[in-house]
Amino acid sequence: MLGRTIFIDPGRCIGCQACVSACRECDSHRGKSMIHLDYTDEGRTTASLPTVCMHCEDPVAPCAEVCPADAILITADGVVHEADPTRCIGCGNCVNACPFGVPKIDLAAKLQMKCNLCYDRTSYGLAPMCATVCPTGALFYGTVEELQAERPGVDVSTAFTFGATTVSTGVAMVVPPERRAPVPGGLLNLIEVNGRPTPGNGAPA
Amino acid sequence: MAVTPPPPGAAGGPSAADGPPPYRRGAVRAGPAPGETHSPTGRASLVAAAASMLLVLAILLGSRGLRDFDSALVPYAVASVFLTFGVVYRYTVWVSAPAARRLFVEGWRAALSWENLRNSPTALPRMAATYLGFQKFLGARSHARWAAHQLIFWGCLLAAAITFPLTWGWFTFTSSGASGPGYEMRLWGLKLFGFDSGSFLGWALYHGLDLAAVMVIGGVGYFLWRRVRDRAATTGQRFGYDFLPLLALLTISVTGLLLTFSEMFLHGGGYEFLAVLHMVSVVLTLVYLPFGKFFHIVQRPAAVGMQLFKYTARRRGSDAEELRACRRCGQPIDTVAAVDNLRATMRDLRLGFDEWAEYCPRCKRVLRGSAYLSSVKRGFK
Repeated sequence: MLGRTIFIDPGRCIGCQACVSACRECDSHRGKSMIHLDYTDEGRTTASLPTVCMHCEDPVAPCAEVCPADAILITADGVVHEADPTRCIGCGNCVNACPFGVPKIDLAAKLQMKCNLCYDRTSYGLAPMCATVCPTGALFYGTVEELQAERPGVDVSTAFTFGATTVSTGVAMVVPPERRAPVPGGLLNLIEVNGRPTPGNGAPA
Repeated sequence: MAVTPPPPGAAGGPSAADGPPPYRRGAVRAGPAPGETHSPTGRASLVAAAASMLLVLAILLGSRGLRDFDSALVPYAVASVFLTFGVVYRYTVWVSAPAARRLFVEGWRAALSWENLRNSPTALPRMAATYLGFQKFLGARSHARWAAHQLIFWGCLLAAAITFPLTWGWFTFTSSGASGPGYEMRLWGLKLFGFDSGSFLGWALYHGLDLAAVMVIGGVGYFLWRRVRDRAATTGQRFGYDFLPLLALLTISVTGLLLTFSEMFLHGGGYEFLAVLHMVSVVLTLVYLPFGKFFHIVQRPAAVGMQLFKYTARRRGSDAEELRACRRCGQPIDTVAAVDNLRATMRDLRLGFDEWAEYCPRCKRVLRGSAYLSSVKRGFK
């Protein structure tokens, strides 16, 4: 069940890149930012989306499952770690298997890198760098009760649908209260993009 | 899915009492797959036992029926047999998991293909030298780590090249004459070359292990310093996984050097005790090798297989044919063969979203953001 984790609310993201800068300061990957900030529909909307590792729970860490070198470690607290540099062979399986588009790869160093929930901080009870600096609360670190105490009525989702598959995650996204009822096929159905079906994704034409 | 608030005290994930084992990696199938008669572990035991028997046979034959076998080195020889069992067992279990198995097959297919050998005969030796010998990729991670790792790598390789044949009774040194300083080095009883024990070559041959120890101590010293001081390395480090291998190498090297020290300066004082200490540290390290960080020595050739698989697939045709472009933005993702291999792996693992592998990471995020924008929080209100 959801413990202390990151809650992402893209509705609050102003695309300021503070999280991207702060992520570079994380000790486990100094100088390299692991958080992604994407402007989803540039030119038409100012909407932006920060992406940290979702720390998939079921199926547990697809990135680790497709890793041929057993390089990705999952600790008992549910944190999916970046690849063990001793083992990673830089094949890119994790990069392409992750449905959220999280892992990065350095092809020269043959090394995958990804958000590890600032393990150097969160394992000592501190908030991750990104959530510490986010000025709007688009990235919130805490428990679901703490989130709901600050933002009455909001709900969170840890279920994401990709085609017929639902992936449940350790990091949650904030959803409006009216989305509280279970949504058939899950919440984030990539078969639809901007309300239109995307051909080739198994969407009915 | 709406999330109900967790019960008090549930924060911080599963507890140690009811949760999964503290650490796990990837997916290792426990039971036999449909259509398989043996479980991966059962098959691995058989293969490992066969490999160990093969080594015992090689020791018997190579030492000319134990005639050249040095009985003082029995514990080392026995440890090498256990090492063979452990390594082969772990290797077989490892390549039985879906992702590793598919890469294993593709890597060997690329390495053994006549077509590849004809088209790019230098690819395999070049990649083996780059990834296994000189470890160029480590230089891209950090120059200091590359240098320290090279010291450990070549030091261990030198030590292994000297000690394994010695403990198996494959190398013997015999005097070429009754009185002279001449010596002959023999392999399986056959003379390789003769040398003067007082010459530089003689000195280097007798002190090869000392040289190896100095190299290893240099590299291990840097890595130990890094394990204490570097905050990237200290994040999530574990004693058994990160420190033990370094301490093991250090113990072997220091006790080995002390043997030489005792012989040269103490007239053999404490030699027997040091010899036992050295032997114990070597034996424990060899037996531990298949389990912790040292297993990367065995795993690493997979990097060559993977690289060769991608390289030869790309050389088969034009980039337009052989590179898979993102279905949304058209940027190349990987070779067609690698993406197809990954999709098959994902289907093996019942990860039902393998189609997403044909989108680049950024497009996957943008698609998700767009879906959130249009159907969850319309207009991000």
